[in-house]
Amino acid sequence: MVAFTKNSKMAEVILRDYQLLPIISRFGIKLGFGNKSIEEICTDRNVDLPFFLEILNSYHSIDYFPKNHLCDFNADVMVSYLTNTHSYYLNSKVPHIELFIDRMDQAAQFENSRNVALLKQFFNEYKIDIEHHFSEEEKNVFPYILALEKALKSNNCSPQLLKKIKREPIEIYERNHESLEVKLADMKNLIIRFLPPLNCEDDCEHLLTELFQLECDIEDHTRMEEKVLIPKVKMLERKVLEYYGV
Amino acid sequence: MEFEDKKMQTVIASDQYLIRLGVKTLLNVIGIESDLYEADSFEELERLVNDVPDLNYLILSEDLLPKQKQDCLKDIKGSCGLCRAIIIGQQKIPNCVFEHFILHSYNRKQVVEKLQLFFLESDSTFGNHDSGTLSDREIDVLKAVALGCSNKEIADQLFISINTVITHRKNITQKLGIKTISGLTVYALMNHFIKAEEVR
Repeated sequence: MVAFTKNSKMAEVILRDYQLLPIISRFGIKLGFGNKSIEEICTDRNVDLPFFLEILNSYHSIDYFPKNHLCDFNADVMVSYLTNTHSYYLNSKVPHIELFIDRMDQAAQFENSRNVALLKQFFNEYKIDIEHHFSEEEKNVFPYILALEKALKSNNCSPQLLKKIKREPIEIYERNHESLEVKLADMKNLIIRFLPPLNCEDDCEHLLTELFQLECDIEDHTRMEEKVLIPKVKMLERKVLEYYGV
Repeated sequence: MEFEDKKMQTVIASDQYLIRLGVKTLLNVIGIESDLYEADSFEELERLVNDVPDLNYLILSEDLLPKQKQDCLKDIKGSCGLCRAIIIGQQKIPNCVFEHFILHSYNRKQVVEKLQLFFLESDSTFGNHDSGTLSDREIDVLKAVALGCSNKEIADQLFISINTVITHRKNITQKLGIKTISGLTVYALMNHFIKAEEVR
């Protein structure tokens, strides 16, 4: 598949793959592109072009794998994007899903209200899981990445940082990086296969659509952490070690 | 395994005795083991489609259909749910709700191929006899998993090897499409296999 380039027209990108819509809004890019190219839009909006292209392409195509572009952008843009994405999930997606579960709860009768309550509890646990996962990344992983970059720029590397690169490199995080989609898939299955029918088809349909979308989005998010973030951090780790001659 | 093999249910519908007989013979030739029901009128077909529980296959000759063929077929499709149909006729009916056809002009080889394809294809989609119900043993394992037992604990409780426990768990996940322990717990609670108070 051909990857998008800085000369691709922004409107055509979205027309080709509407799933990219939530991504551009995470960068603060608004609709009404006219015929502007990705490059022009990025300049207008003050968005880091190389990084934006990496993200668009890795969300657009599962097979996309960045090779030469890892040096083109700074880690801090990436960290701020990932942090934005986390809050998009927690502040926009999760409440949406909760809203529809609540509506199903109201429509459910007798035996089924117990079932919906079980689903509600299941999703609640999931929410706690992802909150925990995200806050771990924000507290431990992201500051580490920023510290690596700072060390390279400032010619100043603390002994603690060097120690951490050797003892707890990003590889450890990579190995323990757990998948966040599995529970969502279970939730879909429980609703589609096992929840006795409710009298609120619209809400069920909306809920499922939200779940499908969130699952897709989180899958892409994980892939992007694995294919863009981790390789980039490994490269930074290597550079810091080389630079400080350890 | 321990679950019951469900037999296929097939309706053969034509107003001509020879066609029904021919179809039955061919099913025998290609080795389809199914309960067979015959309809020699459209009314009889409608009755069967509504009455036969879990009907899987319908082999329908177009001579049986009243004038508005497409509408009749739509009605049939509406009432037979997941059942799949193949139509025997002069030519393919345009915009038909069913996609399988056997034409009068086909020779023996073509007819046999069509029929095989028809049964084979649907077999992989919903004809799967293993309809996803759990066996008693699988339910035992599911209960233990939902209550938070480890594989070792389950093996000890049920007097089976850990490998057998793992196989059961794989089959459960495959049948239910649920992978996580908390998902399985919700399923077990929904179906009253366990009580909420028991969950660790």
